Amino acid sequence: MSAAAQPGFKARAAAELSNAALKVAIERTTGNAERKRAAAVAAFPEFDAARERGRAIKDHVIAHLDHYLEMFERNATAAGAKVHWASDDAEARAIVTRICLDADARLVTRAKSMLGEEIGLPHALADAGIERVETDLAEHIIQLAGERPSHIVWPAMHRTREQVADLFKAGHHPPPAADDPGTMVQSARRELRAKFLGADVGISGANFLVADTGATCTVTNEGNAELTTTPPRIHIVTAGIEKIVPSTAHAFALLRLLVRSATGGELTQYTTFHCGPKRPGDADGPEEMHIVLVDNGRTRMLGDEFREMLRCIRCGACMNHCVVYRQIGGHAYGGTYPGPMGAVLTPVLDGLAASRDLPHACTMNGRCAEVCPVGIPIPTLLRAWRRRSWRAGLENGVPRLAIGVWAMAARRPRLYRLASRVGVRALRLFGRRGWIRSLPLAGGWTAYRDLPRPAGRTFMEQYRANQAAKGARR
Amino acid sequence: MNARQRILTAIRGSTGAQRPVAVIAAEAAALLGRPEVARPGLAAPELREAFALKAAAVGTTIDHLDRMAEVPAAVRRYLDAQGLPAAVALQPAAALAGLDWGGIATHPDIAPDEAVGVGLAEWGIAEGGSLVIHSGPDNPVLLAFLTLHHVLVLREDRLLPHLEDYALAVQDNPQPRNAILITGPSGTTDIEGSYVRGAHGPGFLHVIMVRDSSDL
Amino acid sequence: MPAKPNPRVGLFVTCLVDAIRPGIGFAAIQLLEEAGCRVEVPQGQTCCGQPALNSGDDEDTARLARQTIAAFEDCDYVVLPSGSCAGTMVHAYPDLLARDPKWAARAAAFAAKTHEITSFLVDVMDYRPRGRRLDATATYHDSCAGLRELNIAAQPRALLSHVEGLAMRGLEGNDVCCGFGGTFCVKYSTISNAIVTEKAEAIERTGADLLLAGDLGCLMNMAGKLHRRGARTRCFHTIEVLAGRADGPAIGEEG
Repeated sequence: MSAAAQPGFKARAAAELSNAALKVAIERTTGNAERKRAAAVAAFPEFDAARERGRAIKDHVIAHLDHYLEMFERNATAAGAKVHWASDDAEARAIVTRICLDADARLVTRAKSMLGEEIGLPHALADAGIERVETDLAEHIIQLAGERPSHIVWPAMHRTREQVADLFKAGHHPPPAADDPGTMVQSARRELRAKFLGADVGISGANFLVADTGATCTVTNEGNAELTTTPPRIHIVTAGIEKIVPSTAHAFALLRLLVRSATGGELTQYTTFHCGPKRPGDADGPEEMHIVLVDNGRTRMLGDEFREMLRCIRCGACMNHCVVYRQIGGHAYGGTYPGPMGAVLTPVLDGLAASRDLPHACTMNGRCAEVCPVGIPIPTLLRAWRRRSWRAGLENGVPRLAIGVWAMAARRPRLYRLASRVGVRALRLFGRRGWIRSLPLAGGWTAYRDLPRPAGRTFMEQYRANQAAKGARR
Repeated sequence: MNARQRILTAIRGSTGAQRPVAVIAAEAAALLGRPEVARPGLAAPELREAFALKAAAVGTTIDHLDRMAEVPAAVRRYLDAQGLPAAVALQPAAALAGLDWGGIATHPDIAPDEAVGVGLAEWGIAEGGSLVIHSGPDNPVLLAFLTLHHVLVLREDRLLPHLEDYALAVQDNPQPRNAILITGPSGTTDIEGSYVRGAHGPGFLHVIMVRDSSDL
Repeated sequence: MPAKPNPRVGLFVTCLVDAIRPGIGFAAIQLLEEAGCRVEVPQGQTCCGQPALNSGDDEDTARLARQTIAAFEDCDYVVLPSGSCAGTMVHAYPDLLARDPKWAARAAAFAAKTHEITSFLVDVMDYRPRGRRLDATATYHDSCAGLRELNIAAQPRALLSHVEGLAMRGLEGNDVCCGFGGTFCVKYSTISNAIVTEKAEAIERTGADLLLAGDLGCLMNMAGKLHRRGARTRCFHTIEVLAGRADGPAIGEEG
């Protein structure tokens, strides 16, 4: 779904800002995540060295992406998996749907994968008439609500427990007996168990693609991934091509960063490597394994100033620490990926014209880059989008005119000093007793806060007068 | 051009000519050099203690035995303490099947709502208190996921210090369909960030550590 | 990095200080002179270029960068009462001019001699204020650009610890953005308002008499919100307190 098809970013943000329940929900989840990450990093004195190593591993892989993709393909194929390649979301959807239809699949279980969201898999399966059951608890919640994820780690973080209770009461048979999280989780466990065992196809994503073994790796807490990938006849993995790592040990180096940055834990409950289909004699496992390697804009990023974004391991720390995300939540961003990383990726995926607000709706405070476990300079990348937007003429109207007039003056120091002198005197006319409560053309400021009234004479005026007086005394 | 060629061509257009494979491999290996500077230290000097501390911290319960022959009695103690009937799904591994299970009824199949599954851990990793299981003819993956109580027997000579040590230990063996690191019972924080155990997988993970498994 | 004795310091006033609160500029001159610097205010300066930079207008930013670099070429140091303008000069100028053969080296040299004032006073001049007294409680907000682009955190606190009678109170979320963000605060004013509202609440919870920070943009945002909310907190730039000027009008007070 493109951002252009929805109300504008500002309208979406305004709607979310007025949602008091959303604010409570965001604060509970991201506040918790922030505290737990801080504790996990404090307990890991080697974190900075680990981060440097993680960044270097990702850069190494990105620089040799063709080599590692071919190595992965070779080893996965040798293990019995079928590797598919998709240039874009449409190709990826077509491949997955075709595998399901060829297998006469009626029921598909899916373990949470942001890439699946990115390529529009949920809709594609529905369009093909295939029943899709989301098995991650949060994805289950938003499937019942008919929504999209609002966070890449906690997709249902915008829902309060009361709202979840209402969804489960309507969607579970029998409904949960109480609305405490424990009872509701047990209800989902009961509800989904038959689906796990009755599915024809299980679809998962991958946190890592291990080149030297051909294994894909999922990192989860609930156990739903293994229940999705084991019982069905067919296991399909959809993964972005940047998920490659050279070896299992390299995956572990990144895993230490990923989990601490995402949840503040040290390891998730389940770190699972899936290598090919069930082996001869194996007690269980799928008969077929398909791996769909998806480009969808990634090779373009490799060739431009957004290359560093390919390091992203999808931990969500940037959004947990973003002042803007924590006010408006994930849906306001309008793309698959919200928050700072989403503001970099959405223009890649949906086009800059449809998402030009995202790189601008940032205070450039740098906290996202500070917590990024692989050192992605997110503000620099957002600035790169702003530059493209300016050059492409997407920044128009009064702001562009204002910058032009201001820059013209700023390049002429005498004129600038004169303009400042006149400006502060004019500005003083709007205020009383130190403050300006309302100012034409500055409603964005004075609608919410008062503006300090200028002191009267500019620094330069006073300074030059002082210097002149000193000169006269001498 | 098919998608594969398009993707690889686009990559090569940006990254330039491929360097010799040996050079890439050497660079990749160098990125793992001196692992101790970039990973957490162990929770205790001794492996078994370090493992036990970390496992307990993630909600795993632990029992210590001297010999494999004592395992059935330890399982019995666990079942009694949890108020569970004396029936378990048992991994069809020789090391477990060969034990005298006495009054515990064991079965190889795993029911959709299986109460207790007893299996054998391939490895233990002290760094985070993780247990490793490998899928295979004698190890159904679902034993670790459909059960509410997952009991794993861990021989102490299978304890490794760090995650990399596991990667090293298995690198020359054929990769199983599934290699699974289990670090604590299944859990979720998806409802308002509050932690609930037993989301889809086991709500209880119990480890029986065996000091001397030479009686295997 | 020890300074040579009596270095020649060019003060970059910043447009906000120039227009809204000139006293911060005079406080800077006073402190720099106390620290043993010869201070001048080059008249070729205007603005560091952030409005253009943050709008994506690199061409105009680069023009202003060249103009500013040239204006301060004779100075041993360039000092600013703003972490955000200093960060622009230290990081953005060399980046923008990196591929300009005539300007790359000049931009790098300029960046190397440019400092935010509290870090300059502590790290370069090893200065501490003496004989300053202010009987008040204060809380400190770490402005983001100074904190993350220039590692300014310990220096202002070290300087403030030499003001007798001043009791510092911790601010919850002291390193969290106040929602100013330059043009962000008017372009996305509803979001900015939500952020600064939380900041104001945290400031009010400290119960401190004073709010101090090192960037006038952030200070205007927080002071303006506090005033709109009817809070009594008085807001000053850190160096106004260090220069003994907190007995005068705070931001938004008329003397």
